[in-house]
Amino acid sequence: MKQKTNPLLSIHAYLVMAFIYLPVLMILIFSFNNSRINSTWEGFTFKWYGSLFQNRNVMDALMNSLTIAFTSTVIATVLGTVAALALRNAVRKSKTVLGMLYLPIVVPDIIMGLSLLLLFSQFHFPLGKWTIIIAHVTFSISYVYVIVASRISGMGKQLEEAAQDLGASPWQTFRYITLPAIWPGVLAGAIMAFTLSIDDFMISFFVAGPDSTTLPIYIYGLVKRGISPEINALCTIMIIVSVGLILIAQWLQNKGNRGKKASTLPF
Amino acid sequence: MKKMKWFASTVLAGAMIATLVVTAGCSQKETLNLYSWADNFDPDVIKDFEKKYDVTVNYAVFANNEDLLAKLKAGGSKYDVIQPSDYMVATMIQQDLLEPLNKDNIPNWNNISSHFKNLPYDKDNKYSIVYTSGVTGIAYNKKYVKGEITSWSDLWKPEFKDKVLLLDDMREVIGMGLKKNGFSNSSTNENEIKKSVDDIKQLLPSVLAFDTDNIKQKLIAEEGWIGTVWSGDAAYIAAQNPDIAYVIPKEGSTIFSDNYAIPKGAKNKDLAEKFINFMLDPEVSAKNYESIGYSDPNEKAKPFHSPEYQANKMINLSNDEFARTEWLMDVGKTLQVYDRYWTEIKSGRE
Repeated sequence: MKQKTNPLLSIHAYLVMAFIYLPVLMILIFSFNNSRINSTWEGFTFKWYGSLFQNRNVMDALMNSLTIAFTSTVIATVLGTVAALALRNAVRKSKTVLGMLYLPIVVPDIIMGLSLLLLFSQFHFPLGKWTIIIAHVTFSISYVYVIVASRISGMGKQLEEAAQDLGASPWQTFRYITLPAIWPGVLAGAIMAFTLSIDDFMISFFVAGPDSTTLPIYIYGLVKRGISPEINALCTIMIIVSVGLILIAQWLQNKGNRGKKASTLPF
Repeated sequence: MKKMKWFASTVLAGAMIATLVVTAGCSQKETLNLYSWADNFDPDVIKDFEKKYDVTVNYAVFANNEDLLAKLKAGGSKYDVIQPSDYMVATMIQQDLLEPLNKDNIPNWNNISSHFKNLPYDKDNKYSIVYTSGVTGIAYNKKYVKGEITSWSDLWKPEFKDKVLLLDDMREVIGMGLKKNGFSNSSTNENEIKKSVDDIKQLLPSVLAFDTDNIKQKLIAEEGWIGTVWSGDAAYIAAQNPDIAYVIPKEGSTIFSDNYAIPKGAKNKDLAEKFINFMLDPEVSAKNYESIGYSDPNEKAKPFHSPEYQANKMINLSNDEFARTEWLMDVGKTLQVYDRYWTEIKSGRE
């Protein structure tokens, strides 16, 4: 039976959507603006998308961001998945341990950044790409853990037990049964970690060194000279890629859950 | 099994990237770690330097002087060349964060105009060499502002109600008030400061916004008609909106600079000095400043600059205008007084 909704409610919903997406839409529109200035519209152009790839500073920053995101994603995904598997088999799940795994999600970025900076300078670890990678791994693990663990909890042990009954070694069981079963969760976690790493400004800002100006740090630095329209173009591309990745993560997370209640990402 | 292959290749790709990062870190080429404002150099000039000395330049960016200071004090990051502004040079010298420059390695230092040698914040250029400079003046739109603008007091004219833009900067705004009343922009006399602040409060009803980052946009889009603007920004605004005129008021105004300096403990001090010397080469510096549109302190570079650049009054100040400028000095404990008045000014508005 179709339920009648109050028309005011849907208007409200549209307004909320507009509130959220209008700023994004502005960047999208102004990335096609012919003028160097964000405030005046002078006609439609694709030229910023062309010159974007000629701009060495932007390209260097983008390369740094991508290298850091890829590396930290791989490390965090492996570690987070292993953690989720290990804690699944723990006889008595200690609330403290679980709580500590969630902690990096709730700790303010500025505190994470500052404490990591203190740690690195305490050990005279030179600031650079590696310090950012380590920092990103630190907070990404939690997200990967949350996603993979929710996948595991919906899985049950029957298949693995059957495999072991039929003579599979622990490694074979893991490789041919467990991993394929949790794979969508692992991939979703990896995509999440990747987007978080690309987005992160605050923590990267604290632990960045001479060779590791990431895209967010570079864009922030541009405020004095004025944001160039090339950045609008780049942001547009990044928004589209990020939204695409998040959608894929959601889809993977829900795949195989058909029939059961659909579990969405917890944030 | 497709998925497994995919997984294996992902891991492999990740591992390869990881090694790439590591090896890039310890490549044989010497690297110069440059820490500066974003887009502060012509990228081609940096490329020329890399080619000439067969080195790599890592160009990292900061957004303001305080970020730079924080980064240096945190330690751990090895920068070779940094670009602090004038007052930050003074602070860094005081905190022993800078390496003395070896002028024998920077013979091109002599090319710099005498206006920009031995400045008050670093008297014998022991630690710093000027990179670019500018002054605070009044930019206005001739379409709306009739008659000639010559003085800070013109901002107070009633017809500019809600059309005046001021920099969102304590020392700039209060310094402007001090200058208008004929005092030093770094006055430590509380009566002088009070008189100037009372004056500025009279201006508040006319003020459209306190803004540093977007003041350019607001003038180009003609939201504001008249405002206090740095000369380099004025040149940029005028290039986008031909109705914009610029003047250094007759009472005089504040001059400021960005500089080259080498932080204490820099790994490649020699290369850093080579870089500074390279940038001060007349032809190189002409190419660089033409591209970024800032004012070039290099006297020997004049013949290499385009006629348009030389004719631009916002980039090249006359001797008369220079004579009217004053550097901001450390005001010591009086800073608290400035802080208090600044809060009053800002809260009177918001």
